[in-house]
Amino acid sequence: MKIAAILRQVPDVVEELVIAEDGQSLDETEVMYITNELDENALEQALILKGRHDAQVTAYGVGGDEARDALATSVAKGADEAVFIPLEFKDRGDSHKLAAHLVNVLKEGGYNLVLTGVQATDEVDYGLGGLLAANLSWSYIGGLAAVEIDPSGSKAVVKKEYPGGRLGLMEVTLPAILGMQASEQPPRYVPVSKVMQTKKTLQVKEVKTPAPETTGVHIKKLLKPEVGAKAEMIEGDEEKIATTIANLLKERGLL
Amino acid sequence: MNPDILVVAEHMKGELSDITLEMLACGRELADATSSGLTCVTLTNNASPFKSLPLTVNQSIIIENPALESFNPETYSKILSHLIKELSPRLVLLGHTGIGMDIAGALSISLGAPVIGNCVNIKVEDKKLLFSSKLYGGKLTAQSEIEEGLSIGLLMPGSYPKEGGMRNDVPQVDIKSSPVSLDGIKIQFKELLEPEVGDIDITKNPVLIGAGRGVQNANNIKTLEELATLLGGAVCATRPVIDQGWLPRTRQVGRSGMIVKPRLYMALGVSGAPEHVEGMKDSDLIIAVNTDPSAPIFEVAHYGATIDMQDLIPILTEKIKELKGGA
Repeated sequence: MKIAAILRQVPDVVEELVIAEDGQSLDETEVMYITNELDENALEQALILKGRHDAQVTAYGVGGDEARDALATSVAKGADEAVFIPLEFKDRGDSHKLAAHLVNVLKEGGYNLVLTGVQATDEVDYGLGGLLAANLSWSYIGGLAAVEIDPSGSKAVVKKEYPGGRLGLMEVTLPAILGMQASEQPPRYVPVSKVMQTKKTLQVKEVKTPAPETTGVHIKKLLKPEVGAKAEMIEGDEEKIATTIANLLKERGLL
Repeated sequence: MNPDILVVAEHMKGELSDITLEMLACGRELADATSSGLTCVTLTNNASPFKSLPLTVNQSIIIENPALESFNPETYSKILSHLIKELSPRLVLLGHTGIGMDIAGALSISLGAPVIGNCVNIKVEDKKLLFSSKLYGGKLTAQSEIEEGLSIGLLMPGSYPKEGGMRNDVPQVDIKSSPVSLDGIKIQFKELLEPEVGDIDITKNPVLIGAGRGVQNANNIKTLEELATLLGGAVCATRPVIDQGWLPRTRQVGRSGMIVKPRLYMALGVSGAPEHVEGMKDSDLIIAVNTDPSAPIFEVAHYGATIDMQDLIPILTEKIKELKGGA
Protein backbone atom coordinates (compact mmCIF):
# COMPACT_ATOMS: atom_id res chain seq x y z
CA MET A 1 0.00 0.00 0.00
CA LYS A 2 1.47 3.34 -1.09
CA ILE A 3 -0.01 6.56 0.26
CA ALA A 4 0.88 10.16 -0.62
CA ALA A 5 0.02 13.24 1.44
CA ILE A 6 0.12 16.74 -0.08
CA LEU A 7 1.34 19.52 2.23
CA ARG A 8 0.77 23.06 0.97
CA GLN A 9 2.57 26.01 2.50
CA VAL A 10 0.08 28.82 3.09
CA PRO A 11 0.26 32.26 4.72
CA ASP A 12 -0.20 32.10 8.49
CA VAL A 13 -3.41 34.04 9.07
CA VAL A 14 -2.51 34.65 12.70
CA GLU A 15 0.09 37.11 11.37
CA GLU A 16 -0.91 40.40 9.76
CA LEU A 17 -1.58 39.98 6.05
CA VAL A 18 -0.02 42.82 4.04
CA ILE A 19 -1.46 43.51 0.60
CA ALA A 20 1.20 44.27 -2.05
CA GLU A 21 1.32 47.55 -3.96
CA ASP A 22 -0.43 45.98 -6.95
CA GLY A 23 -3.49 45.53 -4.71
CA GLN A 24 -3.99 42.04 -6.10
CA SER A 25 -1.65 39.86 -4.07
CA LEU A 26 0.06 39.59 -0.71
CA ASP A 27 3.40 41.27 -0.12
CA GLU A 28 5.72 38.27 -0.45
CA THR A 29 8.32 39.75 1.92
CA GLU A 30 5.78 40.00 4.76
CA VAL A 31 4.29 36.51 4.55
CA MET A 32 4.95 33.96 7.29
CA TYR A 33 4.18 30.41 6.21
CA ILE A 34 2.64 27.43 7.88
CA THR A 35 1.52 24.09 6.50
CA ASN A 36 -2.15 24.26 5.53
CA GLU A 37 -3.92 22.97 8.61
CA LEU A 38 -6.18 20.51 6.79
CA ASP A 39 -3.15 19.13 4.97
CA GLU A 40 -1.66 18.39 8.41
CA ASN A 41 -4.80 16.33 9.03
CA ALA A 42 -4.23 14.53 5.72
CA LEU A 43 -0.67 13.62 6.77
CA GLU A 44 -1.90 12.45 10.17
CA GLN A 45 -4.51 10.21 8.57
CA ALA A 46 -1.84 8.82 6.22
CA LEU A 47 0.38 8.02 9.23
CA ILE A 48 -2.55 6.38 11.05
CA LEU A 49 -3.11 4.17 7.97
CA LYS A 50 0.59 3.40 7.84
CA GLY A 51 0.37 2.12 11.42
CA ARG A 52 -2.59 -0.10 10.53
CA HIS A 53 -1.54 -1.44 7.14
CA ASP A 54 2.23 -1.20 7.05
CA ALA A 55 1.84 1.31 4.24
CA GLN A 56 4.58 3.46 2.77
CA VAL A 57 3.88 7.19 3.13
CA THR A 58 5.34 9.86 0.85
CA ALA A 59 4.99 13.50 1.90
CA TYR A 60 4.85 16.06 -0.91
CA GLY A 61 5.85 19.57 0.20
CA VAL A 62 4.56 22.26 -2.12
CA GLY A 63 5.55 25.93 -2.12
CA GLY A 64 8.76 27.78 -1.32
CA ASP A 65 11.76 26.65 0.73
CA GLU A 66 9.56 26.59 3.85
CA ALA A 67 8.13 23.37 2.45
CA ARG A 68 11.47 21.67 3.21
CA ASP A 69 10.92 22.29 6.93
CA ALA A 70 7.44 20.82 6.66
CA LEU A 71 8.94 17.78 4.97
CA ALA A 72 11.50 17.33 7.75
CA THR A 73 8.67 17.45 10.28
CA SER A 74 6.68 14.92 8.23
CA VAL A 75 9.58 12.46 8.15
CA ALA A 76 10.23 13.01 11.88
CA LYS A 77 6.56 12.10 12.42
CA GLY A 78 6.89 8.90 10.42
CA ALA A 79 6.67 9.59 6.68
CA ASP A 80 9.01 7.34 4.68
CA GLU A 81 9.83 9.64 1.81
CA ALA A 82 9.91 13.41 1.17
CA VAL A 83 9.39 15.11 -2.17
CA PHE A 84 9.67 18.88 -2.66
CA ILE A 85 7.70 20.53 -5.47
CA PRO A 86 8.87 24.14 -5.72
CA LEU A 87 6.13 26.53 -6.72
CA GLU A 88 6.58 30.19 -7.54
CA PHE A 89 4.90 32.67 -5.21
CA LYS A 90 2.53 33.92 -7.91
CA ASP A 91 1.30 30.38 -8.63
CA ARG A 92 0.42 29.46 -5.05
CA GLY A 93 -3.26 29.44 -4.19
CA ASP A 94 -4.12 28.34 -7.74
CA SER A 95 -5.33 24.77 -7.33
CA HIS A 96 -5.67 24.25 -11.07
CA LYS A 97 -1.99 25.04 -11.55
CA LEU A 98 -0.97 22.97 -8.56
CA ALA A 99 -2.99 19.99 -9.81
CA ALA A 100 -1.33 20.29 -13.22
CA HIS A 101 2.09 20.31 -11.49
CA LEU A 102 1.29 17.26 -9.39
CA VAL A 103 -0.63 15.00 -11.72
CA ASN A 104 2.30 13.36 -13.52
CA VAL A 105 4.36 13.01 -10.35
CA LEU A 106 1.50 11.22 -8.64
CA LYS A 107 0.83 9.06 -11.68
CA GLU A 108 4.42 7.86 -11.71
CA GLY A 109 4.40 7.26 -7.94
CA GLY A 110 2.00 4.31 -8.23
CA TYR A 111 -0.06 5.30 -5.20
CA ASN A 112 -3.17 3.53 -3.96
CA LEU A 113 -4.30 6.58 -2.06
CA VAL A 114 -3.51 10.31 -2.13
CA LEU A 115 -4.64 12.36 0.86
CA THR A 116 -4.93 16.13 0.86
CA GLY A 117 -6.72 18.75 2.95
CA VAL A 118 -10.22 19.35 1.63
CA GLN A 119 -9.30 22.99 1.08
CA ALA A 120 -6.48 25.45 1.62
CA THR A 121 -6.78 28.92 3.12
CA ASP A 122 -5.12 30.56 0.10
CA GLU A 123 -7.21 28.93 -2.64
CA VAL A 124 -8.94 31.40 -4.93
CA ASP A 125 -10.25 28.70 -7.21
CA TYR A 126 -11.16 25.46 -5.53
CA GLY A 127 -10.63 21.79 -5.49
CA LEU A 128 -7.11 20.34 -5.54
CA GLY A 129 -8.31 16.82 -4.70
CA GLY A 130 -11.16 16.77 -7.20
CA LEU A 131 -8.97 18.27 -9.93
CA LEU A 132 -6.24 15.67 -9.39
CA ALA A 133 -8.78 12.86 -9.40
CA ALA A 134 -10.40 14.09 -12.62
CA ASN A 135 -6.99 14.35 -14.29
CA LEU A 136 -6.00 10.86 -13.14
CA SER A 137 -9.47 9.31 -13.75
CA TRP A 138 -9.55 8.26 -10.10
CA SER A 139 -12.39 8.70 -7.62
CA TYR A 140 -12.54 11.70 -5.30
CA ILE A 141 -14.46 12.31 -2.15
CA GLY A 142 -13.83 15.05 0.38
CA GLY A 143 -14.91 16.47 3.73
CA LEU A 144 -13.72 13.30 5.46
CA ALA A 145 -13.04 12.66 9.12
CA ALA A 146 -11.91 9.01 9.01
CA VAL A 147 -10.51 6.46 6.54
CA GLU A 148 -10.17 2.70 6.78
CA ILE A 149 -8.77 0.34 4.15
CA ASP A 150 -10.53 -2.99 3.68
CA PRO A 151 -8.42 -6.15 4.12
CA SER A 152 -8.14 -6.73 0.34
CA GLY A 153 -6.55 -3.30 -0.07
CA SER A 154 -8.87 -2.53 -2.96
CA LYS A 155 -11.35 -0.27 -1.20
CA ALA A 156 -11.44 2.46 1.43
CA VAL A 157 -14.35 2.98 3.79
CA VAL A 158 -14.59 6.67 4.65
CA LYS A 159 -16.66 8.87 6.93
CA LYS A 160 -17.82 12.06 5.26
CA GLU A 161 -19.04 14.95 7.37
CA TYR A 162 -22.60 16.18 6.79
CA PRO A 163 -24.30 19.19 8.39
CA GLY A 164 -25.71 18.75 11.87
CA GLY A 165 -22.94 16.43 13.03
CA ARG A 166 -24.06 13.56 10.76
CA LEU A 167 -21.55 11.29 9.04
CA GLY A 168 -22.01 9.53 5.72
CA LEU A 169 -20.35 6.13 5.47
CA MET A 170 -19.06 5.63 1.92
CA GLU A 171 -17.01 2.97 0.17
CA VAL A 172 -14.48 4.07 -2.47
CA THR A 173 -12.63 1.81 -4.91
CA LEU A 174 -8.89 2.51 -4.95
CA PRO A 175 -6.89 4.25 -6.27
CA ALA A 176 -8.56 7.39 -5.01
CA ILE A 177 -7.90 10.92 -3.84
CA LEU A 178 -9.41 11.79 -0.48
CA GLY A 179 -9.97 15.32 0.86
CA MET A 180 -9.53 15.35 4.62
CA GLN A 181 -11.43 17.76 6.85
CA ALA A 182 -10.19 16.14 10.04
CA SER A 183 -8.17 13.08 11.00
CA GLU A 184 -9.14 10.34 13.41
CA GLN A 185 -6.88 11.92 16.01
CA PRO A 186 -5.27 15.38 16.21
CA PRO A 187 -1.96 15.67 14.30
CA ARG A 188 0.77 14.06 16.36
CA TYR A 189 3.34 16.17 18.15
CA VAL A 190 6.99 15.76 17.32
CA PRO A 191 9.70 17.43 19.43
CA VAL A 192 11.81 20.09 17.69
CA SER A 193 14.93 18.14 18.64
CA LYS A 194 13.70 15.15 16.63
CA VAL A 195 12.96 17.38 13.61
CA MET A 196 16.48 18.87 13.86
CA GLN A 197 17.94 15.38 14.08
CA THR A 198 15.91 14.28 11.04
CA LYS A 199 17.10 17.28 9.02
CA LYS A 200 20.73 16.10 9.35
CA THR A 201 20.11 12.94 7.35
CA LEU A 202 16.99 13.89 5.40
CA GLN A 203 16.96 13.02 1.73
CA VAL A 204 14.52 15.30 -0.08
CA LYS A 205 13.79 14.51 -3.69
CA GLU A 206 13.11 17.72 -5.62
CA VAL A 207 10.85 17.58 -8.64
CA LYS A 208 10.70 20.65 -10.85
CA THR A 209 7.83 20.63 -13.27
CA PRO A 210 7.22 23.23 -15.98
CA ALA A 211 4.58 25.81 -15.05
CA PRO A 212 1.41 24.67 -16.78
CA GLU A 213 -1.04 26.87 -18.64
CA THR A 214 -4.43 26.63 -16.97
CA THR A 215 -7.78 28.29 -17.12
CA GLY A 216 -7.20 30.14 -13.86
CA VAL A 217 -8.96 32.96 -12.17
CA HIS A 218 -7.71 36.54 -12.31
CA ILE A 219 -7.79 38.47 -9.02
CA LYS A 220 -8.52 42.15 -9.64
CA LYS A 221 -8.36 43.32 -6.09
CA LEU A 222 -7.65 42.08 -2.55
CA LEU A 223 -9.56 43.87 0.18
CA LYS A 224 -9.33 43.97 3.94
CA PRO A 225 -12.57 44.21 5.87
CA GLU A 226 -13.25 47.50 7.53
CA VAL A 227 -12.40 47.01 11.20
CA GLY A 228 -15.59 46.50 13.14
CA ALA A 229 -17.59 47.07 9.95
CA LYS A 230 -20.59 45.73 11.75
CA ALA A 231 -19.66 45.33 15.40
CA GLU A 232 -19.89 48.26 17.76
CA MET A 233 -16.46 48.14 19.36
CA ILE A 234 -16.26 48.43 23.14
CA GLU A 235 -13.16 50.40 24.07
CA GLY A 236 -11.20 50.60 27.34
CA ASP A 237 -9.31 48.31 29.70
CA GLU A 238 -10.58 44.89 30.83
CA GLU A 239 -12.43 46.46 33.78
CA LYS A 240 -14.34 48.89 31.54
CA ILE A 241 -15.06 46.29 28.87
CA ALA A 242 -16.30 43.78 31.46
CA THR A 243 -18.59 46.40 33.02
CA THR A 244 -19.99 47.39 29.61
CA ILE A 245 -20.68 43.78 28.60
CA ALA A 246 -22.26 42.91 31.96
CA ASN A 247 -24.54 45.98 31.76
CA LEU A 248 -25.44 45.12 28.18
CA LEU A 249 -26.49 41.61 29.21
CA LYS A 250 -28.61 43.00 32.03
CA GLU A 251 -30.29 45.49 29.66
CA ARG A 252 -31.13 42.67 27.27
CA GLY A 253 -32.68 40.62 30.06
CA LEU A 254 -29.98 37.98 29.83
CA LEU A 255 -29.04 38.01 33.54
CA MET B 1 -34.18 31.71 -23.61
CA ASN B 2 -30.87 30.15 -22.63
CA PRO B 3 -30.65 28.92 -19.07
CA ASP B 4 -27.77 31.27 -18.48
CA ILE B 5 -27.56 30.66 -14.76
CA LEU B 6 -27.82 27.09 -13.50
CA VAL B 7 -28.16 26.21 -9.81
CA VAL B 8 -27.42 22.70 -8.58
CA ALA B 9 -29.86 22.01 -5.75
CA GLU B 10 -28.90 20.41 -2.46
CA HIS B 11 -31.44 18.58 -0.38
CA MET B 12 -31.73 16.21 2.50
CA LYS B 13 -34.63 14.00 3.60
CA GLY B 14 -36.96 15.40 0.91
CA GLU B 15 -36.35 19.07 1.69
CA LEU B 16 -34.28 21.61 -0.20
CA SER B 17 -31.40 22.90 1.93
CA ASP B 18 -31.18 26.62 2.69
CA ILE B 19 -28.11 26.91 0.45
CA THR B 20 -30.29 25.98 -2.55
CA LEU B 21 -32.63 28.90 -1.94
CA GLU B 22 -29.67 31.20 -1.28
CA MET B 23 -28.07 30.16 -4.60
CA LEU B 24 -31.40 30.79 -6.34
CA ALA B 25 -31.57 34.27 -4.76
CA CYS B 26 -28.07 34.99 -6.13
CA GLY B 27 -28.97 33.46 -9.49
CA ARG B 28 -32.17 35.51 -9.71
CA GLU B 29 -30.27 38.78 -9.19
CA LEU B 30 -27.79 37.83 -11.92
CA ALA B 31 -30.48 36.59 -14.31
CA ASP B 32 -32.43 39.83 -13.88
CA ALA B 33 -29.28 41.91 -14.40
CA THR B 34 -28.47 40.10 -17.65
CA SER B 35 -32.00 39.38 -18.93
CA SER B 36 -31.23 35.70 -18.92
CA GLY B 37 -32.85 32.59 -17.55
CA LEU B 38 -32.42 30.80 -14.25
CA THR B 39 -32.60 27.01 -14.04
CA CYS B 40 -32.53 24.78 -10.96
CA VAL B 41 -31.39 21.16 -11.32
CA THR B 42 -32.35 18.69 -8.61
CA LEU B 43 -30.94 15.15 -8.60
CA THR B 44 -33.07 12.71 -6.61
CA ASN B 45 -34.57 9.22 -6.46
CA ASN B 46 -38.01 10.73 -5.79
CA ALA B 47 -39.21 13.86 -7.60
CA SER B 48 -42.46 14.23 -5.60
CA PRO B 49 -41.27 16.57 -2.82
CA PHE B 50 -39.61 18.89 -5.35
CA LYS B 51 -42.05 19.17 -8.25
CA SER B 52 -44.46 21.74 -6.80
CA LEU B 53 -42.09 24.17 -5.12
CA PRO B 54 -42.56 27.91 -5.83
CA LEU B 55 -38.93 28.55 -6.75
CA THR B 56 -37.81 31.76 -8.43
CA VAL B 57 -36.64 29.99 -11.59
CA ASN B 58 -37.61 29.98 -15.23
CA GLN B 59 -37.26 26.25 -15.35
CA SER B 60 -36.82 23.47 -12.84
CA ILE B 61 -35.23 20.23 -14.03
CA ILE B 62 -35.51 17.16 -11.83
CA ILE B 63 -33.40 14.12 -12.68
CA GLU B 64 -35.02 11.09 -11.08
CA ASN B 65 -33.13 7.82 -10.74
CA PRO B 66 -32.95 5.13 -8.02
CA ALA B 67 -29.15 5.59 -7.92
CA LEU B 68 -29.72 9.15 -6.65
CA GLU B 69 -31.15 8.11 -3.28
CA SER B 70 -28.11 9.63 -1.56
CA PHE B 71 -25.50 12.12 -2.67
CA ASN B 72 -22.65 10.48 -4.53
CA PRO B 73 -19.96 12.72 -6.06
CA GLU B 74 -19.44 10.39 -8.98
CA THR B 75 -23.09 10.07 -10.06
CA TYR B 76 -23.65 13.80 -9.56
CA SER B 77 -20.55 14.71 -11.62
CA LYS B 78 -21.48 12.34 -14.45
CA ILE B 79 -25.04 13.59 -14.78
CA LEU B 80 -24.26 17.27 -14.29
CA SER B 81 -21.36 17.27 -16.72
CA HIS B 82 -23.66 15.91 -19.42
CA LEU B 83 -26.51 18.25 -18.57
CA ILE B 84 -24.35 21.38 -18.37
CA LYS B 85 -22.82 20.63 -21.77
CA GLU B 86 -26.33 20.28 -23.17
CA LEU B 87 -27.75 23.42 -21.56
CA SER B 88 -24.62 25.52 -22.07
CA PRO B 89 -25.12 28.05 -19.25
CA ARG B 90 -22.78 30.92 -18.50
CA LEU B 91 -22.59 30.29 -14.77
CA VAL B 92 -23.08 27.16 -12.67
CA LEU B 93 -23.71 27.80 -8.99
CA LEU B 94 -22.78 25.13 -6.46
CA GLY B 95 -22.79 25.43 -2.68
CA HIS B 96 -19.42 25.84 -0.99
CA THR B 97 -20.54 22.81 0.97
CA GLY B 98 -19.69 19.14 1.29
CA ILE B 99 -21.66 18.51 -1.90
CA GLY B 100 -20.50 21.39 -4.11
CA MET B 101 -16.89 20.97 -3.02
CA ASP B 102 -16.97 17.27 -3.95
CA ILE B 103 -18.04 17.85 -7.55
CA ALA B 104 -16.42 21.20 -8.45
CA GLY B 105 -13.09 19.69 -9.51
CA ALA B 106 -14.58 17.00 -11.72
CA LEU B 107 -16.93 19.50 -13.41
CA SER B 108 -14.12 22.00 -13.90
CA ILE B 109 -12.00 19.43 -15.75
CA SER B 110 -14.79 17.86 -17.79
CA LEU B 111 -16.21 21.25 -18.82
CA GLY B 112 -12.93 23.17 -19.05
CA ALA B 113 -14.40 25.81 -16.76
CA PRO B 114 -12.67 27.91 -14.09
CA VAL B 115 -13.91 27.60 -10.50
CA ILE B 116 -14.15 30.28 -7.83
CA GLY B 117 -14.62 29.06 -4.27
CA ASN B 118 -15.84 30.77 -1.08
CA CYS B 119 -18.04 33.25 -3.00
CA VAL B 120 -20.04 35.70 -0.91
CA ASN B 121 -21.26 37.92 -3.74
CA ILE B 122 -21.47 37.67 -7.52
CA LYS B 123 -22.47 40.57 -9.72
CA VAL B 124 -22.23 41.74 -13.30
CA GLU B 125 -19.93 44.64 -14.15
CA ASP B 126 -19.29 45.74 -17.74
CA LYS B 127 -20.93 42.51 -18.91
CA LYS B 128 -18.36 40.47 -16.93
CA LEU B 129 -19.04 38.38 -13.87
CA LEU B 130 -17.35 39.81 -10.79
CA PHE B 131 -16.92 37.36 -7.90
CA SER B 132 -16.21 38.41 -4.31
CA SER B 133 -14.78 35.53 -2.32
CA LYS B 134 -13.25 35.02 1.10
CA LEU B 135 -9.58 34.12 1.43
CA TYR B 136 -7.22 33.36 4.33
CA GLY B 137 -9.84 32.18 6.82
CA GLY B 138 -12.10 35.09 5.91
CA LYS B 139 -9.47 37.76 6.69
CA LEU B 140 -9.37 39.12 3.14
CA THR B 141 -11.86 39.40 0.32
CA ALA B 142 -10.74 38.78 -3.28
CA GLN B 143 -12.53 40.32 -6.23
CA SER B 144 -12.02 38.19 -9.32
CA GLU B 145 -13.22 38.46 -12.85
CA ILE B 146 -14.24 35.92 -15.43
CA GLU B 147 -14.40 37.45 -18.87
CA GLU B 148 -16.36 34.98 -20.93
CA GLY B 149 -17.33 31.35 -21.22
CA LEU B 150 -18.67 29.04 -18.56
CA SER B 151 -17.58 29.49 -14.98
CA ILE B 152 -18.41 27.65 -11.77
CA GLY B 153 -19.01 29.54 -8.55
CA LEU B 154 -19.14 27.94 -5.09
CA LEU B 155 -21.44 30.08 -2.93
CA MET B 156 -20.83 30.29 0.81
CA PRO B 157 -23.93 29.46 2.87
CA GLY B 158 -25.57 32.55 4.35
CA SER B 159 -24.38 34.94 1.63
CA TYR B 160 -27.85 35.67 0.19
CA PRO B 161 -31.30 35.71 1.87
CA LYS B 162 -33.06 32.41 1.29
CA GLU B 163 -36.40 34.23 0.87
CA GLY B 164 -35.02 35.51 -2.45
CA GLY B 165 -35.10 31.96 -3.80
CA MET B 166 -38.91 31.72 -3.69
CA ARG B 167 -41.78 33.28 -5.62
CA ASN B 168 -45.59 32.91 -5.49
CA ASP B 169 -46.25 30.36 -8.22
CA VAL B 170 -44.75 27.09 -9.38
CA PRO B 171 -42.43 27.28 -12.39
CA GLN B 172 -42.26 24.89 -15.31
CA VAL B 173 -40.91 21.55 -14.07
CA ASP B 174 -39.32 18.87 -16.27
CA ILE B 175 -38.83 15.47 -14.70
CA LYS B 176 -36.28 13.38 -16.60
CA SER B 177 -34.38 10.16 -16.13
CA SER B 178 -30.59 10.18 -16.00
CA PRO B 179 -29.17 11.22 -19.38
CA VAL B 180 -26.10 9.01 -18.84
CA SER B 181 -25.46 5.45 -17.71
CA LEU B 182 -24.72 5.19 -14.01
CA ASP B 183 -23.08 1.76 -14.26
CA GLY B 184 -19.57 1.17 -13.00
CA ILE B 185 -19.71 3.78 -10.24
CA LYS B 186 -16.69 3.39 -7.95
CA ILE B 187 -18.12 5.18 -4.90
CA GLN B 188 -20.95 3.59 -2.91
CA PHE B 189 -22.98 5.29 -0.20
CA LYS B 190 -23.48 2.88 2.71
CA GLU B 191 -25.37 4.68 5.47
CA LEU B 192 -25.96 7.96 7.24
CA LEU B 193 -24.75 7.94 10.84
CA GLU B 194 -26.71 10.25 13.14
CA PRO B 195 -24.67 12.15 15.75
CA GLU B 196 -24.29 10.60 19.15
CA VAL B 197 -26.59 12.15 21.70
CA GLY B 198 -24.56 14.60 23.76
CA ASP B 199 -24.93 15.70 27.36
CA ILE B 200 -26.29 19.05 26.16
CA ASP B 201 -28.20 19.96 23.02
CA ILE B 202 -26.56 23.26 22.12
CA THR B 203 -29.18 23.98 19.44
CA LYS B 204 -31.76 24.44 22.23
CA ASN B 205 -29.62 26.51 24.57
CA PRO B 206 -30.53 30.22 24.87
CA VAL B 207 -27.00 31.27 25.84
CA LEU B 208 -23.82 29.91 24.28
CA ILE B 209 -20.25 30.74 25.13
CA GLY B 210 -18.25 29.92 22.00
CA ALA B 211 -14.63 28.94 22.62
CA GLY B 212 -12.13 29.50 19.83
CA ARG B 213 -8.45 28.83 19.47
CA GLY B 214 -7.75 31.75 21.82
CA VAL B 215 -8.86 29.53 24.71
CA GLN B 216 -5.35 28.01 24.40
CA ASN B 217 -5.79 24.92 26.61
CA ALA B 218 -8.32 22.54 28.09
CA ASN B 219 -8.05 24.04 31.59
CA ASN B 220 -9.35 27.38 30.36
CA ILE B 221 -12.57 25.70 29.23
CA LYS B 222 -13.45 25.38 32.92
CA THR B 223 -13.37 29.17 33.33
CA LEU B 224 -15.78 29.46 30.42
CA GLU B 225 -18.04 26.81 31.91
CA GLU B 226 -18.32 28.86 35.08
CA LEU B 227 -19.37 31.89 33.02
CA ALA B 228 -21.82 29.81 30.97
CA THR B 229 -23.42 28.30 34.08
CA LEU B 230 -23.81 31.78 35.56
CA LEU B 231 -25.71 32.84 32.42
CA GLY B 232 -27.78 29.65 32.28
CA GLY B 233 -25.99 28.53 29.14
CA ALA B 234 -23.40 26.12 27.82
CA VAL B 235 -19.96 26.18 26.26
CA CYS B 236 -19.62 25.30 22.59
CA ALA B 237 -16.61 25.62 20.32
CA THR B 238 -15.00 26.02 16.94
CA ARG B 239 -13.61 23.05 15.10
CA PRO B 240 -9.93 23.39 16.20
CA VAL B 241 -10.98 23.29 19.87
CA ILE B 242 -13.12 20.19 19.26
CA ASP B 243 -10.34 18.52 17.24
CA GLN B 244 -8.04 18.96 20.23
CA GLY B 245 -10.51 16.90 22.25
CA TRP B 246 -11.18 19.71 24.75
CA LEU B 247 -14.95 19.43 24.27
CA PRO B 248 -17.13 16.66 22.79
CA ARG B 249 -18.01 16.81 19.08
CA THR B 250 -21.66 17.44 19.97
CA ARG B 251 -20.58 20.96 21.04
CA GLN B 252 -19.13 21.91 17.64
CA VAL B 253 -20.72 24.92 15.92
CA GLY B 254 -20.30 25.39 12.18
CA ARG B 255 -20.50 23.80 8.76
CA SER B 256 -20.07 20.23 9.89
CA GLY B 257 -21.29 20.80 13.42
CA MET B 258 -24.47 22.38 14.73
CA ILE B 259 -26.32 25.43 13.46
CA VAL B 260 -27.28 27.51 16.51
CA LYS B 261 -29.46 30.59 16.99
CA PRO B 262 -29.29 31.41 20.72
CA ARG B 263 -30.38 34.68 22.33
CA LEU B 264 -26.72 35.32 23.20
CA TYR B 265 -23.60 33.97 21.51
CA MET B 266 -20.39 35.14 23.15
CA ALA B 267 -17.49 34.34 20.81
CA LEU B 268 -14.29 34.21 22.86
CA GLY B 269 -10.97 33.87 21.05
CA VAL B 270 -12.89 32.96 17.89
CA SER B 271 -11.34 34.32 14.69
CA GLY B 272 -14.52 33.93 12.66
CA ALA B 273 -13.51 31.48 9.94
CA PRO B 274 -16.35 31.16 7.41
CA GLU B 275 -16.98 27.52 8.41
CA HIS B 276 -17.73 28.58 12.00
CA VAL B 277 -19.67 31.74 11.15
CA GLU B 278 -22.08 29.65 9.08
CA GLY B 279 -23.22 27.98 12.29
CA MET B 280 -23.82 31.00 14.55
CA LYS B 281 -24.38 34.13 12.44
CA ASP B 282 -28.14 34.19 13.06
CA SER B 283 -27.82 34.43 16.85
CA ASP B 284 -29.90 37.29 18.34
CA LEU B 285 -26.94 38.97 20.05
CA ILE B 286 -23.31 38.25 19.23
CA ILE B 287 -20.52 39.63 21.41
CA ALA B 288 -17.00 38.86 20.16
CA VAL B 289 -13.73 39.14 22.07
CA ASN B 290 -10.48 38.71 20.15
CA THR B 291 -7.04 40.31 20.36
CA ASP B 292 -6.86 40.68 16.57
CA PRO B 293 -8.77 43.78 15.39
CA SER B 294 -8.89 42.37 11.84
CA ALA B 295 -10.53 39.10 12.95
CA PRO B 296 -13.51 38.44 10.63
CA ILE B 297 -15.71 37.61 13.63
CA PHE B 298 -16.15 41.39 14.04
CA GLU B 299 -17.95 41.43 10.69
CA VAL B 300 -20.80 39.35 12.11
CA ALA B 301 -20.73 40.39 15.78
CA HIS B 302 -23.03 43.10 17.12
CA TYR B 303 -20.51 44.11 19.79
CA GLY B 304 -16.79 43.52 19.88
CA ALA B 305 -13.74 44.08 22.05
CA THR B 306 -10.08 43.66 21.15
CA ILE B 307 -8.71 42.26 24.37
CA ASP B 308 -7.27 38.96 25.57
CA MET B 309 -10.17 36.82 26.68
CA GLN B 310 -8.02 35.35 29.47
CA ASP B 311 -7.75 38.83 31.03
CA LEU B 312 -11.41 39.62 30.54
CA ILE B 313 -13.28 36.49 31.64
CA PRO B 314 -12.48 36.47 35.39
CA ILE B 315 -13.46 40.15 35.69
CA LEU B 316 -16.57 39.72 33.55
CA THR B 317 -17.63 36.73 35.65
CA GLU B 318 -17.31 38.80 38.82
CA LYS B 319 -19.25 41.73 37.29
CA ILE B 320 -22.08 39.42 36.28
CA LYS B 321 -22.15 37.85 39.76
CA GLU B 322 -22.42 41.36 41.24
CA LEU B 323 -25.26 42.36 38.92
CA LYS B 324 -27.13 39.11 39.47
CA GLY B 325 -26.61 39.40 43.23
CA GLY B 326 -28.04 42.89 43.21
CA ALA B 327 -30.98 42.01 41.01
